[in-house]
Amino acid sequence: MTVSTKEAPAIEARGLAKSYLDAGRRVEVLSAVDLEVAAGEMVAIVGPSGSGKSTLLHLLGGLDAADAGYLRVAGRDLPQLSRTELAAFRNRQLGFVFQFHHLLPDFDALENVMMPGRIAGLPPGEVERRAQALLEEVGLGPRLDFFPSELSGGERQRVAICRALLLEPAILLADEPTGSLDPASAEQVFGLLLDLQRRHRTATLLVTHNLGLASRCARILELRGGVLAPFEPATTEA
Amino acid sequence: MNERPPRRRRGSGLPLPLLLAWRYARGGRRDAYVRFLSNLATGGVALGVGALVLVLSGLAGLQGFLRDDYLSRTPHLEIELPPSEERTAAELPALLSKIEAQPGALEARPLLRGRGWLLVGKGAVAVQVVGYDGELPGFFSQSEEQRAASAGAGVYVGDGLAVRYDLEPGRLVEIVSPRPTLSPLGPQPRIHSVRIAGAFKTGYTESGDNRIALPLPLAEKLFGLRQRRIEVRAESLERALELQAELPPLLPAGSKVSSWRDLNRGLFFALKLERIVMFLSVFLIVPVAATALVTVLALIVSSKRGEIGMLQAMGGGRRMLEQAFLALGAGLAGIGLLAGLLGGIGGAWALDRFELLRPPGGVYYIDHIPFRIRGEDLLLIVGGTLLLTLGATSAAARRAASLQPLEALRSP
Repeated sequence: MTVSTKEAPAIEARGLAKSYLDAGRRVEVLSAVDLEVAAGEMVAIVGPSGSGKSTLLHLLGGLDAADAGYLRVAGRDLPQLSRTELAAFRNRQLGFVFQFHHLLPDFDALENVMMPGRIAGLPPGEVERRAQALLEEVGLGPRLDFFPSELSGGERQRVAICRALLLEPAILLADEPTGSLDPASAEQVFGLLLDLQRRHRTATLLVTHNLGLASRCARILELRGGVLAPFEPATTEA
Repeated sequence: MNERPPRRRRGSGLPLPLLLAWRYARGGRRDAYVRFLSNLATGGVALGVGALVLVLSGLAGLQGFLRDDYLSRTPHLEIELPPSEERTAAELPALLSKIEAQPGALEARPLLRGRGWLLVGKGAVAVQVVGYDGELPGFFSQSEEQRAASAGAGVYVGDGLAVRYDLEPGRLVEIVSPRPTLSPLGPQPRIHSVRIAGAFKTGYTESGDNRIALPLPLAEKLFGLRQRRIEVRAESLERALELQAELPPLLPAGSKVSSWRDLNRGLFFALKLERIVMFLSVFLIVPVAATALVTVLALIVSSKRGEIGMLQAMGGGRRMLEQAFLALGAGLAGIGLLAGLLGGIGGAWALDRFELLRPPGGVYYIDHIPFRIRGEDLLLIVGGTLLLTLGATSAAARRAASLQPLEALRSP
């Protein structure tokens, strides 16, 4: 199932395939993935562990290359981009949130959020203003100069979300963003993600095991046997 | 609520690669292994650089002393004329005028060199004879006392020889030339009795000890005209080298112009070789320190793989990461280099100023080791150290930047 809009889709993938060599054997992770995500849409991807959800996210984020298939993200054919172009594309068009926040431990919360802007070469003053506004928006105004080690798990993930949204990317790719949080923090972080996604109109692809959270997205897709299909609750493992 | 005072963000105005390097260096200090290895690398560079500065400045001081000693006894230029006695004698005055007319040539004087014996009492000493015209040439340097005790033109001997054989001014000695003179009894060596006119400083090395200076007419009588040369005094040692190239067209064909450098070629080669060998031997400390530097960087890269992956995911390019790790390595090496330079220069200054290194008296001819810090040595040390440490750092930085983002993100 695809959402049809007049606007160009944020993500468009056809027949995406990826396999790995494992101990001399070729393991096919994705066989023919078709996906279309509209601008501003929030889509959840569920599936059993090892089904290739993260691999799909990595392909869409240009962190890995597909073996075959057509992939167009934010209007660019990713396989055609050089390493340098891909880096610039990720910087401006994509935001990543991972299960483990991957904050830089030697930088405080504000500096972590500023990082994509600094990489983009924007004036530090302007980047700082934006980062501060975002952190205040998620209730971390009093924690600007706290290092990741001084923040709770939920706070770290909120910082990671702010960092991903700093440059207002077209697409946010979130891989189990609440996977390492307790239920209360997970709920808080997800609520925040949902809220920011709506306000910033960022197309979001959320990989999660949590069906409760997934059900709050516009669509749920399930990855099984290397193929993406609309989620049907009866077929999913508990 | 945040109740503590806001923290200062150190270095936040720096370009991103430098900021990353700064924070990684600071963060690395919290890790005991990284701290130990970075201290080892920085200390190694400092030790190597400091030792190099000390050794090279000590060598420069000693070699400068030796060089000055030799040069004080060497003409700036010595022209060996072709062996034609009559023509040489006739053309000499005009030739001297032509040479003296050259810019930077202060004086040109005829000179004669020969080998003979000095008969003192019942003994004979092999001597190098230098025949001089007019006053005693400048390359026979005299102390104030020696100059005061001199009796004008005459035979001058080295002060070592004078002390050994009690050759006071006025004493009669005989000089023997190997150039034979024919007599009814067959060829006989030429012997001439002369009175000692004074002494000159023989220098600190033994080679100058057996020279004697004779007035030119006497030297010509003993050794003939074939050994005639011209001594040229230039306004500086550098100008002498230029004159060496400019003079040959003015001289008779077959003349040979030797500079102070040619006359001491063996010595200068030995001094240069000594410097090169010492530099290379002591410089070996720096590659060891550079290896430790690479290890530190490898350790930091290994512990930062996840962060490197995240930076790449955020669009951090290869170049930015390479620059960051290069800056980190350069920073560590730079601290070592600076510490080594300060320590080495300070040490050399103190050793020289307070004359702290004193060789045993009576064995060496100087009372303390002089240290001379030369800009070119410092440039060589800084250049060599930077080349080596930055080369090693650059290899480690390239490796860090070539990590695949996904591979790095999957790291624990």
